[in-house]
Amino acid sequence: MTEHAVDFLGVTRTFGAVRAIDAINLTIDRGETVALLGPNGAGKSTTVNLLLGLLSPTAGTVNVLGTSPHDAVSAGRVGAMLQDGGLMPGVRVAELIDFARSLHAHPHPRGDLLDDAGLTDIATHRVDRLSGGQAQRVRFALAIAGDPDLLVLDEPTSAMDVAARRAFWAHIRHYAARGRTVLFATHYLAEADEYADRIVVVSAGRIVTDGTPGEIKAAAGGRAVRFTIGHDSTAGLDLLPGVTAVEMHGAAVTLRTTDAEATLRALFASRDRVPDIEVSGADLEDAVLTLTR
Amino acid sequence: MFALARLEMRRMLSDKRFLILMLALPIFMYLLFTNVFGANQRAYGLDQDVSLMISMAAYGAIGAALMATAPRIAQERTNGWLRQLKVMPISAGQTIAAKMLAALAWAVPAIVLVDVTAVLAHGVSMPAWRWLAIGGLLWIGTAPFAALGAWIGYLTDDSAAFGVMYGVYIFLGAVGGLWMPVSILPSVLRHIAVALPSNRFAELGWNIAAGRAPSMSGIAILAGWLVLFTGLAWLGYRRANALR
Repeated sequence: MTEHAVDFLGVTRTFGAVRAIDAINLTIDRGETVALLGPNGAGKSTTVNLLLGLLSPTAGTVNVLGTSPHDAVSAGRVGAMLQDGGLMPGVRVAELIDFARSLHAHPHPRGDLLDDAGLTDIATHRVDRLSGGQAQRVRFALAIAGDPDLLVLDEPTSAMDVAARRAFWAHIRHYAARGRTVLFATHYLAEADEYADRIVVVSAGRIVTDGTPGEIKAAAGGRAVRFTIGHDSTAGLDLLPGVTAVEMHGAAVTLRTTDAEATLRALFASRDRVPDIEVSGADLEDAVLTLTR
Repeated sequence: MFALARLEMRRMLSDKRFLILMLALPIFMYLLFTNVFGANQRAYGLDQDVSLMISMAAYGAIGAALMATAPRIAQERTNGWLRQLKVMPISAGQTIAAKMLAALAWAVPAIVLVDVTAVLAHGVSMPAWRWLAIGGLLWIGTAPFAALGAWIGYLTDDSAAFGVMYGVYIFLGAVGGLWMPVSILPSVLRHIAVALPSNRFAELGWNIAAGRAPSMSGIAILAGWLVLFTGLAWLGYRRANALR
């Protein structure tokens, strides 16, 4: 089984005049945990829906596990939590889980599944009377009921509080640790940073950058130098060695730099006073802002 | 598919609107009408105890078929369950087939409960084969109403589906001659009545109970409605999915 988990070849999807996805090429290997990161409207859900066969590409080819998305889903090799997916009302949690298991030839064992999704305590609850976080866990259980090779999660934690979110990611990690491929779309940078091996940043329908969290931070320009400039002129700051960008926030200025030391030497040489100075590593949020600008 | 159909049937047990309106109400109406209008009334060439038994069995079966489809499809479209099913290894055809199976399955108790009430309350009796023929025809004849319900489910949203469905249900019952004989309706409504699927549906049972041959034009009209509603439901399904 050498085929890739996911292959997008020159995929474009338009809605009327809008290009939601614009000539994307993306390959995901088996066993990777990949975050699809980007602001709302960047094309994350369109990408996920193409991947699951819920949408057809306007141009290009989508392959999933070496076959078409529809065939991969029909064969039960893909499990998904959709952003706008729901649950059947009027039945109990365990009944719904049993139904999902019945669709697969080799389902996840029942007890393990309830355990893995954190549902053991609420197995007899009515599905329509669950909290947002509980419902999300049921949807997770439906997604992994068939022990799929590829797990796709679209904004999986948006309805959860902080504690529920942490517990939820522990379940995903546990699943990924068994060598499964996980692709999740999120606009939470911290989630992508913490849980993904690889981050694909999308903006306006294109892939802006693709790499490990560390690589992306580095690519975005190393460090940030901040100080209070008051009413002084900012002229010339962009010409200092290493500086790639100058940002003003009220009386404070932030210099993005690839060489913090050179920037600091030149800064001290050119000014009498540099109050409140601090140097920090760019965090992922800065990196993504820089890259998607 | 059968696992989903079983879940659909199970779910109706916890649906109080269904249990009250579609199973209990026809029984109540049967007892009310047979006792209010007096014992000597005849309709459709039958004693009222028998004609109303068939009318109300038909009415309950139509209700079960509509209730299993229209409000649920609308609700599941709105809440995303139908979308979730699309990313599970079950085809759209199987999903719809499970709903139809559930609709037909729940028509059985709707028919049987009214028949049992008629036997217990008014001593209605007929040869066993007639019971089976009436029950069987009313059961199969439920199909057009399941298709009608599916169409309503794809046409309306969650908040409107039950109201629209119930309006259609009352119209089919009242104008279709199930609540009272078509012969006492005003002449304009009489012409409408005999074209309605509800009237032709109950007619299947009335004819057998009265020892008459089935009406071929009635079966043709019922089949025509089945084709029309199935086509409309299919268009509604296509339209609902194209919006995505």
